[in-house]
Order: sequence, then C-alpha cells, then structure tokens
Amino acid sequence: MACSKKPVANPAIVLREEFDDWGILFNPDTAAVVAINPVCVAIWKLINGQNCVNEIVDEIQDCYSNVPLAAHDEILEFIDQLAKDSYVGYEL
Amino acid sequence: MRTPRNVDVEITARCNLRCRYCYFFDNPAVDYRDLPTDEWLEFFDELGALGVMNITLAGGEPFIREDLPTLIQGIVRNRMRFSILSNGALINDEIAMFIAATHRCDYVQVSVDGSRPEIHDSCRGKGSFDRAIRGIRTLQRNKVKVVVRVTIHHHNVHDLENIAQLLLENLGLEGFGTNSAGYLGTCRLNSDDVMLTIQDRQAAMEMLLQLTKKYGDRISAAAGPLADARIWHRMEQARAEGALPFPNGGRLTACGCANNKLAVRADGEMVPCSLLPHLEMGQINRNSLVEAWQNSPILRELRRRQSISLKGSKCCIGCAYIPYCTGNCPGSAYSQDGEVNHPSRDGCLRRFLQDGGTIL
Repeated sequence: MACSKKPVANPAIVLREEFDDWGILFNPDTAAVVAINPVCVAIWKLINGQNCVNEIVDEIQDCYSNVPLAAHDEILEFIDQLAKDSYVGYEL
Repeated sequence: MRTPRNVDVEITARCNLRCRYCYFFDNPAVDYRDLPTDEWLEFFDELGALGVMNITLAGGEPFIREDLPTLIQGIVRNRMRFSILSNGALINDEIAMFIAATHRCDYVQVSVDGSRPEIHDSCRGKGSFDRAIRGIRTLQRNKVKVVVRVTIHHHNVHDLENIAQLLLENLGLEGFGTNSAGYLGTCRLNSDDVMLTIQDRQAAMEMLLQLTKKYGDRISAAAGPLADARIWHRMEQARAEGALPFPNGGRLTACGCANNKLAVRADGEMVPCSLLPHLEMGQINRNSLVEAWQNSPILRELRRRQSISLKGSKCCIGCAYIPYCTGNCPGSAYSQDGEVNHPSRDGCLRRFLQDGGTIL
C-alpha cells in the first residue's frame, strides 16, 4: 500500500471504547469482534479519509513518547490488515 | 465496561398467549403498557451512539407489534445485531423474510414445551403447539436461525425424550436450550400444579443427562435441571474429595449480568434484568443510560453482590457445599424470599438432598 493513500474506516464498523482505553471493533454484519490496544484505538480514530499513512504515523509519534523506529512499518501492517478484513477502504 | 454490550428490551407488554408459568405477567411491580414507536427508535439511537452491540427483543410477544419491522430497522440503522424471543405463533413468511434480509439477526428463539399438542398446550393454551411448529418451519424456510427453549414443568417432564427427537431429528434443529418453570410472575399463582416436584426434578435430571449422551452439546442449559445436574455433580465430587474451594465459590457470584448488560421494561423503565423488574434505574429517553450504567446505586449494589459470602446467610449455616456454591439467580432469590442479596432456594443442593433428591 502506498503511504500517500488515505485510508477510510468502513462506516459499518463500530468502535467500542472501554475504561482501560482498549477498544473493540465490531462488525454488525458479520458479528466479528476484534480487540485493539489503546494505540490502535488512536490509529483507528485517525483513519478518516483525510490522513495518509505517513500523517497517521506522524500523529501517533506526536501523541506518544518513546515511539520505536518500527512504528511506521507496524502501523502500515495494522492498516493493511484492517483493509484485508474490510474494516478499512480507500477512495478510488 | 463503559457501556453495556447487550441490552434486553421488552418491546411490548402484550402477548397473544397467557402461559401458566410465565415470568413476565402478574408482577405487581410492573406497569404493563407499550411505548410508541418513536420512543423506541430514539432509544435505539442512544444505544447505537454508545456502541451497544446486541439487542434481545422480548416481551410479551414481540411479533405482536405491528411496527416490528420499523423497530428492527432502527436497530439495523444503528449498527447493532438482534435476537428475538417468541412463542412462534405470529410468525409469517413476510416478517421472516424481512428479518432474514437484515443479515443482523443472531437467532429467533421459539418456545416448545412438548412433542405433541396436548402436552405443549397444557400450559400454553389450545392451538399454541401447532402455531409454534409452524413458526419454526416458517423461519427455517426463510433461512432465519432458529433456536428453541424448552421450559420443563410438571406436565412435560416425562416427554423430554420425545421432545428431543422432535426438535433435533424431525425438525433438524442444531440444538435446544432447557430451563424449568421458576417461582416468578404467573407461575407463582400456579406453582402447585406447574412447578417441578422433587421427583420431577430428579427424573428430568436423569433423562437430560441420558439425552446428552446421545445428542451431545445439542442440548444446553444455563439453568434448570440439566444445569443443576452438572453443577451439583461437580459440587458433590469436590465435597467428597475435600477439594479446595472453587475460585468463584462461597460467594454470591452466580450472576454476572450487571457487568455486561441491562434490561428495559415495556414501559421504558431501565432495570438490571427482566427477572428484577422492581429495581428501577430510570426511564429511557428521560434519563441517561450511561449515567444509569456507570453510577446507578442499584447496579453498584448488584456488582458488589459477588463479594457477599454465603456464610452470612442463615439458610447456609453448616452447609458443606459453601466452598463450591455460587448462590444461583438473584431474581429467583428475590421472588422466593424477597431478598436479592440472598442465595436462591431453587439452586440449593443441600435443600434438594434434604427433600429426597439424589446426585447422579
């Protein structure tokens, strides 16, 4: 996936946030449920069709301290996986 | 959790039947009236915004509502899934097709209490068996997942083998759940005639254990004779071996409902559970559900129930099973003894043995 493309969250997917800052991504059409950690919750909220992957990475690096160098690749991998599972798409 | 994941909604106080063991009717704490469509739709919008995942529609009989498709659309529009609890009598192809087309229905549960009309109808009314079976076949024809609940009572306890054959072999259902008529609602008025005697309970436990050898996990139970048979066997084994207490034993830990769901009565009053309808936490659309969920003293008290020791209950004094017992359903406890923070008599192994029952 090109890092300049802007991912968009599937509007059918529900994000449930819990007290411990973890979240659940729930697909009501399939009943599939995925638990995501607080960083992934923050990434999910940035997947709004207005931020490309590089911008999302920059935003995460601004929000958190001690962000590892591998963060860029890991965020890319996370968004890639979301796209494979149809949680995320891209504007044509 | 921040908000409930599941909400049980009594979408109507009306029902086309008057079953003799119904937990819903004849409860003096309940105002039996229906809300208009708009009230429910507004509430579903709130649930959607809070990320609630599943709604169970019950009643009364949900299919009696003429606006059921509109209400279901409200659930679907708010990105939730649903299930429906029904007597099956009012299900037709049109509504079944509609439900199937949403792709959001986990299941429709239909109640079947006998393998033939005389037995099922004895507690549910003449003609109800035929209509329930017709309802099941209609759902199946339209590819809606059907589950069945068998409520075991004095008049069908010797029909269990035939019921299993009907449901699992003739109708080809994946499985069915079992429970027994509890001392709640209308059943309180008919308890002598409807509820299981000790002999009935023993017979049901034996038969259900036998049937699970044949059908495996196609027969399930969250409560009632099969659940009792299983847990009581474990408790007796633990006691005989002098085993360490169960991790959740010795306290009122049986009910976890207050931690992941709440219920709404047909008149819009939020309550912890349909079996605790007197514990009112506020009216939908007038009071915030989040506020009720996070700060209601009623829910806080129920969640603290898990730390209450059975040793503090008079009825548990000297009981050898305390380390393995979890106190059973608070709704049942309240109905029998007027106390929520109390073990349920129905779930008491010692009492069952004292009354002449035996562990299998």
